[in-house]
Amino acid sequence: MGPMSLRRSAARVLVLAVVLPAMLVSGCSSRAGAAKTELTVTGSTTILPIAEVAAEMFHEQHADLRVLVAGVGSSAGIESVTKGTSDIGTSSRDLKPEEKSLGLVDTPIAFDAIAVIVNPSNPVRALTTKQAADIFEGKITNWKDVGGSDQLIWLVNRDEASGTREAFSKIVLGGAPFDPKSAVLPGTGQVRSVVADSATSVGYISLGFVDKSVKAVSIDGIQPTEKTVADGTYPVSRVLHFFTKGKPSGLAKQYVDFVLSSAVQSKVVRDAGFLPVAEGRK
Amino acid sequence: MTLDPKPDDRAVRLSEGSGRPNADAAPSAGSGLSTISRATYFKEAALQNLFLVCACVAVAGVALIFLFVGWRGWPIFAKVGLFNFLGGYVWHPTKGDFGILTLIVNSMLATLGALALGAPLAIGTAVFLSEVANPRIRDLVRPAVELLAGIPSVVYGFFGLVLLRPIIAKFSGGLGFGLFTVWIILAVMILPTIAAISEDALRSVPEGIREASYAMGATKWQTIWRVLLPAAKIGIIDAIILGMGRAIGETMAVVMVAGNAPVIPNGIFAPFLTLTTVIVMDMPYAAGDHRTALFGVAIILFVISMIFVATIRIISRFGKEVG
Repeated sequence: MGPMSLRRSAARVLVLAVVLPAMLVSGCSSRAGAAKTELTVTGSTTILPIAEVAAEMFHEQHADLRVLVAGVGSSAGIESVTKGTSDIGTSSRDLKPEEKSLGLVDTPIAFDAIAVIVNPSNPVRALTTKQAADIFEGKITNWKDVGGSDQLIWLVNRDEASGTREAFSKIVLGGAPFDPKSAVLPGTGQVRSVVADSATSVGYISLGFVDKSVKAVSIDGIQPTEKTVADGTYPVSRVLHFFTKGKPSGLAKQYVDFVLSSAVQSKVVRDAGFLPVAEGRK
Repeated sequence: MTLDPKPDDRAVRLSEGSGRPNADAAPSAGSGLSTISRATYFKEAALQNLFLVCACVAVAGVALIFLFVGWRGWPIFAKVGLFNFLGGYVWHPTKGDFGILTLIVNSMLATLGALALGAPLAIGTAVFLSEVANPRIRDLVRPAVELLAGIPSVVYGFFGLVLLRPIIAKFSGGLGFGLFTVWIILAVMILPTIAAISEDALRSVPEGIREASYAMGATKWQTIWRVLLPAAKIGIIDAIILGMGRAIGETMAVVMVAGNAPVIPNGIFAPFLTLTTVIVMDMPYAAGDHRTALFGVAIILFVISMIFVATIRIISRFGKEVG
């Protein structure tokens, strides 16, 4: 029965298993003194669609250069860039106070809003920030208390590695703890598919991932749309970051500049449902 | 271990376990009995040492894992205290609460429910394969059961998540995560383990016992229920304990359908977190005491495994004494 403790870890770890050999290869090539041809970008699953598509476009333009992208969660991304196992750490949350001294340089690459999503069959269309907070803290447990039908509310939460959870907790809950009875799922896609199949559920995902299978409710009377995020009226929004150890240089700078170029910003970032930094608010 | 020398091959008897041939059995000029060649002698000795090395690798593997997990996990017992670690029911590591009682209870709930569903099914399968099925049907069913054992657990999990969970969400009114879903998946996963070992146990009941039972006028059902199952009891209990081990250690399939809430579930359709799934969920981001606590959880899983193995050994010994 010993092997059971050796069982493979989560899907996210499988991603690492794919990326790790690649990291080793890139590590070897840089040690060999040759110009770096592979860049490793690790972190937020929210940023994955931007970083991945940008990486493919980048490779099309520079056939000899390759950008490897992995989605392992913002915290893991920040950790890996700090340790040097990846060149760019992507994060959908700001640095924690204890991370500020790690020498990471922040390049904001897009804006994001977090939508509170319910099943399309749910009659509830609007919540206040306070109601959303009470629901996720477990203080409101029945849909009838927020204008819905008399059914228990089933919470769908993200794991603690998630930048989306971190941001939602900070912006909506004000740091109060989530109801521990909520289901904890390791990815945005899973949250969406579970809410899509379950009539009484509620979850939260980046606006970029909201599709027809779920319904985003308005918060404090503001429907999350590109416009309300851009003008800053939608309350649950945040900045997406690329972190590098020191100022981006060489291949990392080339890639960061490419992500900030209008080709990526006005196409890839928008297609993923995020807002370009150039047109952002404030 | 001992190589039994047959009269015709004139092999020397090699000493048991020491990995070295007996000195007195070494070939020496003039010794009438040891007529094997020097080359044969060294080949035998080399093979014996090779098998010893194989066995040592397994033992060393277990020892290394145990030492490593123990070394990394021990500090958490020192820090929060063994009693608080095992007896605390709040698992909120990022807030400094390291109680795993909830996780232990959840693992037990998941395992016992899976056994309650899976064991009767598996033993029924074993009885069918060993006593009821004609050879043609048996050749069809047995590979199918064996195939169940070969399916990777992540495939079970994916099946549960994508197919089973939405159905259970529909009729339960919840999310479809929870004990009920886990029980179904685990019951199917432990079925081949329990069925295969129970079938072996049933087959090893001497044919004479069956014939005696029929000769007494017992029907097939009476023979199975009153004679064969009691006779194979020890082997079937071993099978169930091995199934338990598989169920409690299962991780990938469970993490996908359990819902991972660190509370004792309020009903069989509510999400819950177990000893194994907490390691998968938290390992990617855990740091400091949190990571140490996960190794602490691994120690507990190790201890549970050892208890299961020890139980099987004790039961088997007991079975030999009474049987």
